[in-house]
Amino acid sequence: MRIIVILGRVLDPSGIIVKGKAGRIFVNREEYILQPADRCALEAALRLKDAMGCEVVVLPRTLMPDDDVLRQALARGADRAVYLQGEGPGEMDVGGMTPVLVAAIERLGGGDLVLTGAVTLDTGQGQLGPRLAGALGWPQILEAWQVNVMNDAVRAVQQRNGSYVTVEAHLPAVVTLRSGSLKLRYPDGVRLINVYRGVGEIAEALMAWNVTDLVAEDVLHPQLDHRGRDFPPDRERGVRVEGTPVEAAQAVAKALRQRVRQ
Amino acid sequence: MDFTLSPEHRALRRMIREFAENEVRPIAMEIDREHRVPIEVMRALGKTGLLGVCFPQEYGGMGAGEMGYCLLMEELNQASTSVATNVGAHIGIGAMAIYLDGNEEQKRKYLTPLARGEKFAAFGLTEPGAGSDAAAIRTRAVREGDSWILDGGKVFITNGGYADIITVLAVTDPALGARGGITAFIVETDWEGFKVAREEDKMGIRGTSTAELVFEGVRVPHENVLGKVGEGFVTFMKSLDMGRLTLGAACIGGTQMALEQAVRWARTRKQFGVELAHKQTIQWMIADIATELEALRSLVYRAAWLVDTGQPFTQLAAMCKLYGSDVASRAINMVVQIHGGLGISRDFPVECGFRDARIAEIYEGTNEVQRIVIASNIFREHGIRIRP
Amino acid sequence: MEGSSFLDLLMAQQEEVSGGEEVAGGGGIWVVADVADGAVVPVTLEALGAARTLADSLGAYVYAVLLGDGVRDMAQVLYQVGADSVRVAEDAGLADFALEPYLRVLSDLFKTESPEVVLCGDTPQGRELAPRLAQELGGGLIEGVVALSLDEATRTVRGTVPIYGGMYFEVVACPEARPQFLTLQPGAFPSPFLDTYRTGEPKPITVEPTSPAVRVIGKAEDFEPPELPLAQAPLIVAVGRQVGDLDAARQLAQALGARLAGDRGARDAGWIATSQVVDVRGVVVAPEVYIAIGVRGDTFHNAAIEEADFIVAIHPDADAAIFEVADLCVTARPEEVLPPLLEALAA
Repeated sequence: MRIIVILGRVLDPSGIIVKGKAGRIFVNREEYILQPADRCALEAALRLKDAMGCEVVVLPRTLMPDDDVLRQALARGADRAVYLQGEGPGEMDVGGMTPVLVAAIERLGGGDLVLTGAVTLDTGQGQLGPRLAGALGWPQILEAWQVNVMNDAVRAVQQRNGSYVTVEAHLPAVVTLRSGSLKLRYPDGVRLINVYRGVGEIAEALMAWNVTDLVAEDVLHPQLDHRGRDFPPDRERGVRVEGTPVEAAQAVAKALRQRVRQ
Repeated sequence: MDFTLSPEHRALRRMIREFAENEVRPIAMEIDREHRVPIEVMRALGKTGLLGVCFPQEYGGMGAGEMGYCLLMEELNQASTSVATNVGAHIGIGAMAIYLDGNEEQKRKYLTPLARGEKFAAFGLTEPGAGSDAAAIRTRAVREGDSWILDGGKVFITNGGYADIITVLAVTDPALGARGGITAFIVETDWEGFKVAREEDKMGIRGTSTAELVFEGVRVPHENVLGKVGEGFVTFMKSLDMGRLTLGAACIGGTQMALEQAVRWARTRKQFGVELAHKQTIQWMIADIATELEALRSLVYRAAWLVDTGQPFTQLAAMCKLYGSDVASRAINMVVQIHGGLGISRDFPVECGFRDARIAEIYEGTNEVQRIVIASNIFREHGIRIRP
Repeated sequence: MEGSSFLDLLMAQQEEVSGGEEVAGGGGIWVVADVADGAVVPVTLEALGAARTLADSLGAYVYAVLLGDGVRDMAQVLYQVGADSVRVAEDAGLADFALEPYLRVLSDLFKTESPEVVLCGDTPQGRELAPRLAQELGGGLIEGVVALSLDEATRTVRGTVPIYGGMYFEVVACPEARPQFLTLQPGAFPSPFLDTYRTGEPKPITVEPTSPAVRVIGKAEDFEPPELPLAQAPLIVAVGRQVGDLDAARQLAQALGARLAGDRGARDAGWIATSQVVDVRGVVVAPEVYIAIGVRGDTFHNAAIEEADFIVAIHPDADAAIFEVADLCVTARPEEVLPPLLEALAA
């Protein structure tokens, strides 16, 4: 059995300062972290590997300047990883990236389960999982808390209407994991050293493919483009809510509904 | 001169930092309050392979060298000096002695499980009458057929209360003293005759086991002699040399922690209408700590590079320990001062850091001994042999 | 008028909407309706309001699609907020949202109708459906937009997407691929005006029976979601000595899916554990929303919530230090504010 995990990275927001008035973003500390939800997908795959002894192959979510994300995955126990080289769609352009990933999956010889994070921390896009499911013609289970495989089916825990339910679909399938659902294990020290040194078997587990070998030039055409950037109004502290307690409650409820995702 | 860390060391540092933040920092104050060794953290470290960070991969280690070990101590100490001390005693003197002077069988049998974190190590040297004067130990090992019978006691042994394997120094020929009369033995703590007599109740590093050990007729097989009979003193000197350097690395972590606490407090605390950060006295204190921290960092990393490139490092290692412990003490003292009255409040981590830092100037060879070592080396280069 | 009643007058004024039916396969701004608890959800109405604005600028029609079982009557509200045409797909198999049945109906529909723009709510349904539709039809998709604008020359919609949950925003567009799919964040767009005089005759769509690929087996009885450390919790309700109604505060936490925490005073009163104390000496937090109820807010507490994105404070004393750091300040007794707040959130 082969599980394909799609991992991305994101700039650590704690290293970013936004100055709305100046209309600029300052990166104080440029440190990249694995997409939090993708970490859960990787852990889910590694747990399945521990339980069933399958192969875990890692692909990158987007075209990245280096293969660090893949090395991190190999250090934690993934069997193989493929770095995609070349120019192509930008970070936000999931639609543009989908055919590249589908082609990569095909070149790998397919898979039984595709796991990735439910949503990206920075761009808030959750479309990768479902788009891949559509392109591959597989069932999709989104925002799962847990994944299990038994016989030819995948079972997952989802939250529906406030309660937790178990759902099932036939393999092959695409499952996306919620951020915070599983804690990603620490790397194995020896694997870590060897994969970053580029020595031993593990170094051979990291492959590099050119995107132009996977898809035709015109397919690499981006679907989305950036039209600008906007900044939130400066934080206004100390806004006093007037009125009766009931009126205050309404105002607070309104503010909360805007900020808390239902 | 390329000062950048290699990719594997950068990745290693990131891994250790994540571990320290998620597993060590949350329990740091608790283990101090409860006076307990966080054995679950030691086991978790073992699982990642970090307890063998500097040992070769063929013996179950990670093969990250002395630099890797320094990074481990630096990052762990930022979160908890107690945890770093447990690790340092396990890797730096306990397992290290076996790595430096063990034969093939000993490395396979003992070093490998230690490197994998399956077993824990300690180093048994100090006795009531033998601290800095290590040659004055009295624990006796007498040959009997194909074994040695060990009788005596040790004090202040870090990890002694839970270690599985202890490298013990004992007198095998009282007449010869340090030169030819002391031997190192690998002792398994589940052997008959070994006992942990008591634990020290300490001012600081209260998350460590500092134990008094008793050996009553402990039978040690001859194949557990570490190195050559009579050359134990050399083994111990070599181990402590390596350990010294990494204690300096630990002090980088302690100083870094102190600096961060100082900055955080100076940003938050307002007196006379402004944050403390706007007061020059505070700025100078912080500038001084930061400068010494960078100097220490350069010193330690260079010493680690010397080790990893097979060059002589003893002088620099002694300097790392001496300077590191002094810098860390100055830093934490300054941080307590910056916090004012709250600096002694047990609710703040600085108070714990203050108590934890004190031992660094004392153990692993007191700073006085370090100065003698440093001066001796200097004068020897100029043709004078200093008498201690 | 002789013989006619006031009712007749009203009836004569009602506008029978019949736009868009004639222009088949001719683009348009489409909205896929989300239904919950027997009614169309607010974000669908907000999307229709946004669709109306786009349509008016583009000179296009607004279409809505309603799927379900016994939902036909809900079509009226869609007309009332601006839909020119409403298609209804009714079938037992569509009673609850399931991907493949809904996808079949919509993709067949959109293949015939070729929308220019399709708007959905950023809801569990929208997150399943919009990407699949985009993928199948070769369209672009921008998820979670909080604002829309129009590049009229190229008939391209620009979507404003919050980055890192709203730290800043990126404006993105899909210049070529069609349809342009966008999902809208609930509450980000204004509630449109309900014109009760606007009515229409919804058009039924034939439904091809399709089985869902994912089936619910049952409740996950033993499942407990893992608890994030307080320092990483995105939503926190903190209580202090003046909380007044501790139970209501706990209910608020539960209703929002927030973690319960508090200040030292609450810990000393035995209401929370030491591990839940928000204080520079305890846990420093960085949530998206921090609600301080009855928390006076001393230096140590306030320093520990510096990194919170949005702070609401409710305290009876107008001079409480918490109001120096809170974004939204309510000077009132919490026990008087909490019950109506809980009610408003449940609505």
